[in-house]
Amino acid sequence: MELTLQPVLVASGEEGDGVLVFRDRHLVAILVRLSSLHEEQAGFWFLEKGFGVLDGPQHPIFDDLHAAQVWIKARLADHVGKPPWPNAPV
Amino acid sequence: MNPRGPSPHERLITKLESIADLSAEAKAALSALPIRLRAFEENADIVRQGDRPRECGLVVEGFVCRYKLLGEGQRQIMSFHIPGDIPDLQSLHIKVMDHSLSALTPTQIAFIPHAAVNEVTRNNPEVASAFWRDTLIDAAVFREWLAGVGRRSAHQRIAHVICEVYVKLQSVGLADGESFQLPVTQAELADALGLSSVHVNRVLQDLRRVGLISYRGRFVVIGDWDGLQAAGDFDPGYLHLKDGALQWN
Repeated sequence: MELTLQPVLVASGEEGDGVLVFRDRHLVAILVRLSSLHEEQAGFWFLEKGFGVLDGPQHPIFDDLHAAQVWIKARLADHVGKPPWPNAPV
Repeated sequence: MNPRGPSPHERLITKLESIADLSAEAKAALSALPIRLRAFEENADIVRQGDRPRECGLVVEGFVCRYKLLGEGQRQIMSFHIPGDIPDLQSLHIKVMDHSLSALTPTQIAFIPHAAVNEVTRNNPEVASAFWRDTLIDAAVFREWLAGVGRRSAHQRIAHVICEVYVKLQSVGLADGESFQLPVTQAELADALGLSSVHVNRVLQDLRRVGLISYRGRFVVIGDWDGLQAAGDFDPGYLHLKDGALQWN
């Protein structure tokens, strides 16, 4: 599974550095880099918004973008072919 | 516990008098309730889901939450409790705990045997009525939190819970003017409000930036009470406090 990242500015109320995360041209997540507002977690990456199976109450924080992609891929792989992933038969 | 602070019975009576009228006879009956004091460390469970308590726990000192543990290590906090509250009063009639109680700070609990609570309510309808009223207000608070988690923004939820804790403390004389202790972490606020701790941090910083609140050591100071209530869509009506229970009434 390949993910592609596209830098973006996010109006989160912080500095705004973020990336859009795509799988097969579908937007699956928005990650933002935590600012100095978050003290010891500054520079870490936060799952601001997930879509489809990544949408939910969990908003993990990752050390770096690699760790974030590992987590996202694992979540997506767990749910291939299962609802609510759109490939699933309804 | 501060040895010069109010006794457990005084805590209970002050709390009940913030929501109901109590006669001298009712207060005497409450003052005679047998108690067993026990200290809990921060983050210690007081009662756990599945337990069958035989006593109710009155908060004497500290700060307590109700919570449920969910899958993947997630926790939902469903209410905060302050001195004078009996958060597991319902265990008198609902035998198995369907949630847990945890001490969020070092906490002192006065345990009152169910048999004694049953007896005082049988012999004193006024006390029974005050406990019933307290339980109904508990339900009103849940309705308010449900509305908040379901339909209020992160800003509104956080401003609202700050208003709620402040008003509750104020009603039992535990707020100092417009400053009070809110001894919860950002992660605990997040677990209570269905938010991430990142969102909680952003909103708290924002509330400080616009001057609605500030911090003085471990105390929260309200900078603009009307503004904070407006930001939280907060109306204290659901707490059903007696007229005059709040100093500004």
